[in-house]
Amino acid sequence: MSIRKLFRLIPSFALAALLAACGGSKPPAEEPKAPPAPARPIGAAITIQAPLGLPAVPAPAENPATAETIALGRRLYYDKALSIDNTVACASCHDPKFGFTDGKQFSEGVKGQKGDRNAPTVFNAAYATVQFWDGRAPSLEKQAEGPVANPIEMGHTLEGVEKKLSADPSYKAEFEKAYGPGPITYEKVEKAIASFERTVISGNSPFDKFMYGGDQKALSPAAQRGLTIFRDAKKGNCAVCHTIEEKSALFTDNKFHNIGVGVDTKGELTDLGRFKVTKAEADRGAFRTPSLRNIALTGPYMHNGSLKTLKEVVDFYVGGGSSNPQLDKEIKSLDHLTKKERADLEEFLKALTGEIPANVGPPEAR
Amino acid sequence: MKRYSAAVAALWLAACASEKKTETPAEKPAPAPASVSGKVVFEGKPPMMPVLKMSEEAACVRLHKAPVRSEEVVVNEGGTLANVFVWVKSGLEGKTFEPAKDSVTIDQRGCTFRPHVIGIRAGQTLVVVNSDPVSHNIHPMPKENREWNQGQAPQTPNLERQFARPEIMIPVKCNVHSWMRSYIGVVDHPYFAVTGEQGAFELKGLPPGEYTVAAWHEKYGTKEQKVTLAPAASQSLDFTFQERGNQP
Repeated sequence: MSIRKLFRLIPSFALAALLAACGGSKPPAEEPKAPPAPARPIGAAITIQAPLGLPAVPAPAENPATAETIALGRRLYYDKALSIDNTVACASCHDPKFGFTDGKQFSEGVKGQKGDRNAPTVFNAAYATVQFWDGRAPSLEKQAEGPVANPIEMGHTLEGVEKKLSADPSYKAEFEKAYGPGPITYEKVEKAIASFERTVISGNSPFDKFMYGGDQKALSPAAQRGLTIFRDAKKGNCAVCHTIEEKSALFTDNKFHNIGVGVDTKGELTDLGRFKVTKAEADRGAFRTPSLRNIALTGPYMHNGSLKTLKEVVDFYVGGGSSNPQLDKEIKSLDHLTKKERADLEEFLKALTGEIPANVGPPEAR
Repeated sequence: MKRYSAAVAALWLAACASEKKTETPAEKPAPAPASVSGKVVFEGKPPMMPVLKMSEEAACVRLHKAPVRSEEVVVNEGGTLANVFVWVKSGLEGKTFEPAKDSVTIDQRGCTFRPHVIGIRAGQTLVVVNSDPVSHNIHPMPKENREWNQGQAPQTPNLERQFARPEIMIPVKCNVHSWMRSYIGVVDHPYFAVTGEQGAFELKGLPPGEYTVAAWHEKYGTKEQKVTLAPAASQSLDFTFQERGNQP
């Protein structure tokens, strides 16, 4: 065996081991065979256009979006077949009717089971450098493995989904149109879903028109004052984490912070958040900063959905977060904000509702 | 020398033996407990209390039929003073007491803290309730105890907290509503009271002995008096606070 061959084998073997570990239920007798080459869309790559206020949409080299993968991803996203008992689709908890969330404190999975975190929106998830509240998935593609295989969400297995979709000739045809001939693999499923999700981009909000479009009238005077408070380190200091850049604004630093949400009646953290992933003490109770775009559509708020309205959110920050040893140093009571300033901040948050792109709703019945 | 040590040893044994005797079931009954009670009298013209600035939160205003005044000084009809924390300040040193079985509740109601002044034992559970349709954020500001802060959205579970050490008094504020104030007195024994509409207090079940009883008021400060309680005594004790600022 040449050195070159050996080098080629090591990563593929490692990947096989990893996949086996993820699958969990594969019979141990099975020979570890080299996985197939990564699935690649065969169509022409599409550049997803970013609306006013957002930077270029990230396009991973290993999964360029094509018209076919986006259409396939859209069908999969709205298809309840991805769940074990055909009751739950991605869209069940990330529903365009509720700003790509479900409007509930905690989402309901198969057999009415409830999770313990609030469903994050899919709007602009393309820009998140890691996925989930605790950042445990490194990409949108990997994110699409989580809920399907989670017993309290869709309750399925990745292999189970492959089998189920393979039994549907219309899916078989659509996968081949997207990826060329070959079996339906979960890799193709997650790549298609991720490409669809990359089209769920929302910008061009009143804030964007004011800030980046030169339209001075796009924001009400109250919202304009709110923007100033939002950015002023001595006033709201919100932009320290919910970032606004010169040419665009993600309203997230893509980092993890403990803001003092989710402290139980005795003062103990109820969900350790990022700590569960990193085991770093400083990450106890820290969660990924969510973007604030379309925030008026995506309540209730916080990782545990504990705040019902934007007013409750503003009041929460005025309060200064519940005491705990890992409380972020930027979290301080905003009790210096007057009634008017608090209301202005709320008005500003409402001005972050952007345009919703076409073709992100349920595909037409075939 | 030997003989001397033998004598000491004998004495020691004797002492031990006699000490043992007192521990037999035929123990001397504890002396009958005593009590001290009285009222807190207010002298002078009751100061006019300012109206709380509840207009900052419309939902709070709606919870009241009339504007709410500050509770800094509440003089009762009979000329007594409410919201005075009365406690045994000294005389109980070294004694230990059964831990409290019940809890003490502070309610955020009508965008005020109810009650305005609270007494609690070190280690006893303080239950924090939000009965309002708005978010509150309770923030006790102790010097001897650990400071903490917790937001409570409407219809969220009650909080349960303790203060580990005695402290007179812990000011409490709400970070969301600047007008909200409360004071918590923490003591390491069960002998304390807060005066109400009658301006009265009673400290029951005290072992006979010499004590300093103190009374604290948020505007008028602290006064102390010494008392000696005989077994089964019902001692009366009044405090007087004077308003000097607006004397004619």
